[in-house]
Amino acid sequence: MNSSVRLWLCWAGLMVLSLGTVWSGAAGVVVLLAMVKGWVIVDGFMELRHGPWKWRVAMLGWGLVVLAGIVGLSA
Amino acid sequence: MCTLPEPRRLPGDVAMWLFILAELTVFAILILAFAVTQRLQPEVFALGRAQLDTSTGLAMTYSLLSAGALAALAVQQVRLGRARRGSVLLLGAWLVALVYVWIKLTEYRHLIDAGLGLERSTFFTLYWIVTGFHFLHVLLGLVILAWLGWRCWQRQYLAPRLSGLESGVLYWHMVDLVWVVLFALVYVIR
Repeated sequence: MNSSVRLWLCWAGLMVLSLGTVWSGAAGVVVLLAMVKGWVIVDGFMELRHGPWKWRVAMLGWGLVVLAGIVGLSA
Repeated sequence: MCTLPEPRRLPGDVAMWLFILAELTVFAILILAFAVTQRLQPEVFALGRAQLDTSTGLAMTYSLLSAGALAALAVQQVRLGRARRGSVLLLGAWLVALVYVWIKLTEYRHLIDAGLGLERSTFFTLYWIVTGFHFLHVLLGLVILAWLGWRCWQRQYLAPRLSGLESGVLYWHMVDLVWVVLFALVYVIR
């Protein structure tokens, strides 16, 4: 797939997921959608999908830890 | 005959990635402090959040993420040797990001006029600290995008020497990444 097309798809996905965040409002779904959006930004925009795995783990791990913290504290 | 896999490449400068990790750590502390306090004072946070407009938060999200997409497209164009096109895309990213600034300042003014300042409640103390800190990062990101756009227009970034451009755009993506979490936590989660 053309890399520009991939970026536009990432953008479209982020727009839809953001709308879903507002539409849902439920804590679990909102956190899950935020996690997916973070993953799209890290892999798509920051281009870590084909980057060194340690950096990819660090960036995805940040979102995972923070969002898990939010869920844990909200429960 | 076998072909070796392409080496995994880290875009931008390692120093920028380390800086991003440090910034993310600070934001993580602020975000978790917000979540802990919310746990301790759920009524105060529910009342505070009710004063915020979710659609305004969504509009700001669209602005930041669209600017990020345009900046990422700019990097691709410069890689293809189309520096001027990259510069125009960065200008587009800058203008779209300016929409965020305008909406945020309007929201801040509205809250101040309604007497919902830093000392109103624990929710608003943390709201102003966390979103204000993020807002400062957006302003710095705007300066960086403008600088990158100007340098692109002057054809200062030529493949494969794009580390500066990639690093600057990565900073913007970090701002986006943090906002995705902030938007969920501050505006949406009930």
